[in-house]
Amino acid sequence: MIEPPRYPGYDVLAKRNTPSWDAVTRRVIDERLATPSTPRFFTRKEWLTADALCRRIVPQPGEIDPVSLVALLDAKLFANHGAGFRDADMPYMQDAWRKALAAIDRDARAQKNDRGFSDLSEEDQDALLSAMQHGKISGDRWAGINAKTFFERRILVDVPPLYYGHPKAWNEIGFGGPASPRGYVRLDGDRPDPWEAIEASPGDEDKADRENRRVV
Amino acid sequence: MARTLHQHRRPLLRPAVGGPPARLGGLQKERPTAIIIAARRLNRAAGIIAISVLFDSAMEHYRGNFHNKAMWTPIVTSLSSIAVSAHGLADGRHRAHPVRDAVYVAAGFVGLVGTGFHIYNVTKKVGGFNWQNLFYSAPLGAPAAMSLSGLMGFLAERVRDNHPEGEPRVFGLPAGRVVAAATGLSLLGTTAEAGFLHFRGAFHNPAMLLPVSMPPVAAGLLAKAAIGRAGASRTPSKAWLAATAVMGVAGVALHAYGVSRGMGGWRNWRQNAFAGPPLPAPPAFTGLTLAGLAALALLREYAHD
Repeated sequence: MIEPPRYPGYDVLAKRNTPSWDAVTRRVIDERLATPSTPRFFTRKEWLTADALCRRIVPQPGEIDPVSLVALLDAKLFANHGAGFRDADMPYMQDAWRKALAAIDRDARAQKNDRGFSDLSEEDQDALLSAMQHGKISGDRWAGINAKTFFERRILVDVPPLYYGHPKAWNEIGFGGPASPRGYVRLDGDRPDPWEAIEASPGDEDKADRENRRVV
Repeated sequence: MARTLHQHRRPLLRPAVGGPPARLGGLQKERPTAIIIAARRLNRAAGIIAISVLFDSAMEHYRGNFHNKAMWTPIVTSLSSIAVSAHGLADGRHRAHPVRDAVYVAAGFVGLVGTGFHIYNVTKKVGGFNWQNLFYSAPLGAPAAMSLSGLMGFLAERVRDNHPEGEPRVFGLPAGRVVAAATGLSLLGTTAEAGFLHFRGAFHNPAMLLPVSMPPVAAGLLAKAAIGRAGASRTPSKAWLAATAVMGVAGVALHAYGVSRGMGGWRNWRQNAFAGPPLPAPPAFTGLTLAGLAALALLREYAHD
């Protein structure tokens, strides 16, 4: 079921040329929005697998123009901007993703008559990811990487933030984007500043829509 | 125009220091007595403090989105206090005005109730009375400024309510001494508020020490004058009070500088002017020190109390 927007009329990008953002903020967001939709880090095969995986981790049902998480993941791995540390039982970020995507695809082919992960039905993809999550996958195909650990420390750490780092997701959750330079004055709960999004209460969508068109 | 007639029927006015005797009625403007001069100075003090309260409460309560209707009270009260203070400044009569009196008494009362509200506000927060809530909830000391405006105005009316030729007295005590003592104590209260908030700001700029050092000295000088010899000129004390009054105005400029240091500077005023140092707060010192100067002038003028 597709719900109506909680913050109707709200577009965080309307803040672009207001005191809420400065040149640095604009540059960062512009770069994010201009992320190439062709692989620079992944191979074509890895891209297809990663694309299918991202769509199951953060589904965007009914979305006409979904956020391309695989493109953002490719950009992240291409830039190799990690968290600044490596878990002792995992390879480095780039290496871990390459090995794990290959392993996921091999698992899919081994189970489903040589059909790659991206060719599986959503149910089968979920079943495989669920098996990973619950530690039911192991074997030589994973080349020493623990599938459960990879699910918890790479997939869940890397993929959802790509979605919630995108202005589209900010519009969805009424987030103001970077508080740089303008932050917030009213810090108590349910006391929004004039430049914050207003959540629509049922039946009051029109009012929220009007207010959300002047949150700059 | 009954009032005007009454005004012209008054007896010979006591002249101000060194001035020629005042004349009655006619086209020539009456020279105000020292009592009227002092009363007007106190009206002005009440008005300046009320202006500070008006802008400060308007900004802070806008920040609080006027979520409680009672948050409009200081706006209405300070506007009333400003209006009657202007009326008092223009008034040359030796008599308390009932409307001015009522507004000033109401302002004093509203300030007390507001303090109660702000204390209640702190107790409602998680953790109740702790330093975090005292620093970041509605400031306890702010509504007291409304009371001080009322107090200064109330004293203005009491001083004015004296016979032109007598020694002005307030509740049977020499007016200069009462005003000096009240102003000195008020300065200490305002100093406590500034000290509290400047401590929150870690005194990161040395100028933040000025409002916790100059006003207490001014309060001490006023206390000394309140119990000291009448008729003294006290030029150094006057100079110090005047300097403190200037500090109150300069504080606005320094707070404006503080706002400019926030991220985004004045371009981001909608955040920084509200989350930064309060622009309208420092002139409260100016209002109180002007009242103190009125007290010193009364003490100088009436040497035989």
